[in-house]
Amino acid sequence: MKVGVYFCNCGSNVSDKIDAETVKVCTLQKDKSVHFKTIDFMCSEEGKQVFENDLRDNNINRVVNAACSPREHEGTFMQAMSRAGLNPYLMQMVNIREQVAWVTEDREKATQKASRYINAALNRVALHTPLHKKEIDISTDVLVIGAGPAGLKTALTIAEAGRKVVLVEKLPVIGGMPVRFEELFPKMECGPCLLEPLMADVLHGKFAENIELLTLTEVIGIVGSYGNFSVKLRIRPRYVDPHKCVGCAECIAPCPESAKNEFNCNLNERKAVDFPFAGALPNSVFIDDQVCLRWKNQDCHICKDACPVEDAFIYDEKERIVERNVGAILIAIGSQLYDCTLIPNLGYGKLQDVLTSEEFERIVAANGPTSGQLITSTRAVPESIAIIHCVGSLDKDHCEYCSGVCCQEAFKFNQLLEHKFPGKKVHHFYKELSVPGKEEFELYRKAQRNPESKFIRYKEISDLSIASQDGQKSISYSDADSKKGTIFADMVVLCPAIIPGKDSKVLSKLLEVGLDKFGFFEELHGRTDSTQSKMKGIYIAGTCQSPMEIQKAMNQGMAVAGYMLSGLVQGRKLEISPVTASVIDERCSGCKTCVLVCPYKAISFDGVKGKSHVNDILCHGCGTCVAACPSGAIIGNHFTNEQIMAEIEEILI
Amino acid sequence: MSLSETSEVGIRNVGASNFEPRIVGFLCNWCSYAGADKAGTAQTPYPPNIGVVRVMCSGRVDLQFVLSAFAQGADGVIILACHPGDCHYKEGNYRAAQRHRLILRLLKQLGIPEERCRLDYVSAGEGDKFVAIATEMVESIRKLGPLNNKIH
Repeated sequence: MKVGVYFCNCGSNVSDKIDAETVKVCTLQKDKSVHFKTIDFMCSEEGKQVFENDLRDNNINRVVNAACSPREHEGTFMQAMSRAGLNPYLMQMVNIREQVAWVTEDREKATQKASRYINAALNRVALHTPLHKKEIDISTDVLVIGAGPAGLKTALTIAEAGRKVVLVEKLPVIGGMPVRFEELFPKMECGPCLLEPLMADVLHGKFAENIELLTLTEVIGIVGSYGNFSVKLRIRPRYVDPHKCVGCAECIAPCPESAKNEFNCNLNERKAVDFPFAGALPNSVFIDDQVCLRWKNQDCHICKDACPVEDAFIYDEKERIVERNVGAILIAIGSQLYDCTLIPNLGYGKLQDVLTSEEFERIVAANGPTSGQLITSTRAVPESIAIIHCVGSLDKDHCEYCSGVCCQEAFKFNQLLEHKFPGKKVHHFYKELSVPGKEEFELYRKAQRNPESKFIRYKEISDLSIASQDGQKSISYSDADSKKGTIFADMVVLCPAIIPGKDSKVLSKLLEVGLDKFGFFEELHGRTDSTQSKMKGIYIAGTCQSPMEIQKAMNQGMAVAGYMLSGLVQGRKLEISPVTASVIDERCSGCKTCVLVCPYKAISFDGVKGKSHVNDILCHGCGTCVAACPSGAIIGNHFTNEQIMAEIEEILI
Repeated sequence: MSLSETSEVGIRNVGASNFEPRIVGFLCNWCSYAGADKAGTAQTPYPPNIGVVRVMCSGRVDLQFVLSAFAQGADGVIILACHPGDCHYKEGNYRAAQRHRLILRLLKQLGIPEERCRLDYVSAGEGDKFVAIATEMVESIRKLGPLNNKIH
């Protein structure tokens, strides 16, 4: 074994505080066969070249680099070693700049400490073994779960890059929530208009052939890991071929059966064969087999008879289970609103005309239950409307966080009322106001300028009490200054917090992607990596990750597309770091402690062999399992017990 | 000689003059090691008595590393982790905290007082906190005196 110790002066950063000659003497005292060389700036192009050449010229096969922090240039020197034909893991860095030269006042002590560190590294590097990156074949196709703004954006971006996307949507309609909103903040653009170009591209655009859109579809199973997932999908029957249906709606009127329309918050009814709402895409009706007479043993075929297209209806369509192989997955399943019945003093669910923001959105939408007419449950035109902000938000008994979008939605309502239904009195009850961003303040200012607007600040949601009185809603309140009052309104709109969707838990369990304390999908890092989950190859975007508005959801969708395109490249294999854990079968007692402690579910238990197994694609190399294993059966590559103990042995001398 | 026998020697040697404590610090790569680097870039000095061993995660710190450090003659051991909730590997620091409690119980049986084995949290930005902890650790071990535990 020929060890080279390379001592970087880092200009005078190191040499000012550490005497290389003394260090050399100490090093040679420990091992006189060591090749010791000082380099001025080892990370410079010239320095790297000197290093590389020196490795070759002296047949070095183990390296100790005494330089800056390994967090700074470990990668740089590993690459140089590879170029010199040496396995890059046969190197140990010694941090003599950040952790010795720059922090030790006394030159003699700094020199001693540097020598000690180098000797410890010599001990350690002697035990290093060559490690090799593994390469695995991958599928470059991706799965997108949820066809809302984030999912659509990712799907289209990936498709435009010429790559295949499986886009699944649980509902018969794509576009997520915003397509149901008449206007969107902050620019009062129409929701469907904003999203239709994107949806049209996904459905019929130049790259649509790269997207396999599956509506009424859910993920029910998954095996594999990053690069090679095999997912099982359940496709519920639509009973209508969306490629043949021309969306003429001829079948709808004659249909004899109806049910509450969940796409309009159950505020009106739809037929057994119907669109979710006018303008819904894909432009195809669907049959609700819970309502249709054919599933009640009646031979009704009125819809098929009314249909001008041959074979558009497929009455005998069955549920299908299909499998798809993909390299990466995006979860973009959206969210829901906080259940307002949990705050009984607001009267939601008991009093007529106390609505959620979502219900109000549908009422003022041209394709909604009232065709955009602003009317109460008694079909009267409301003259006064109260909007309650922060419903369930910033409240330790409900949701502790601020969703950050409800204020803008409330001011959007104000603007919409002022424009479309002028003269309506609008009361805003709020706890806090949140309108960040360069465009977002405008709607608040407009609401302030609206002569019909009034603002009342309250402290706790329990300070409000809504009741029915003389055909109106009375809102009794105690404001932030504890001043009591009562106002009357014909309609009350509650702006509840955004909370995780109903399917988050199930999908979290199925895909083994963690949820945060609120139940949103947990990101790898809140600031720098909000679209990666902690499960490699599974990404998260949109409101299933955190409450957010469309701009951020779209951005996250784009970010995910970036990760997918750069991580999975056609013709390139997936590189797996060798710094992972591995189980020595003979020592494993099968206690499964490692399975419990692994934060990445990278360890599975082979019931037949009675041994644990580490999936090195999922392993992040933290070494928690290595320390936890009571049998010493797990090796932490590059951080083995022996290597670390060898380092400890010298570091104290 | 076993650890428990040698610890007797350690107790007798408390108060030796010119005593320079020897401390092993296990620092996780992502937070506390970066915090120590931060102290470096800020050029904030601290006593040179701590020998740093870098591990990827504080959850990697094995009980035997700590015992080995004491057996090699360390007067103190410090494990530095990411702050609760900030672990790069989600929860390795919680494992480290659990293991630290176990280590303390074991050290007690060996006659090594728990002040000699500390666990603390330093983020990548907390260079000053690293310096404060390192300095304080060196001073507190200096007061405790040498452990004289080295097994030959």
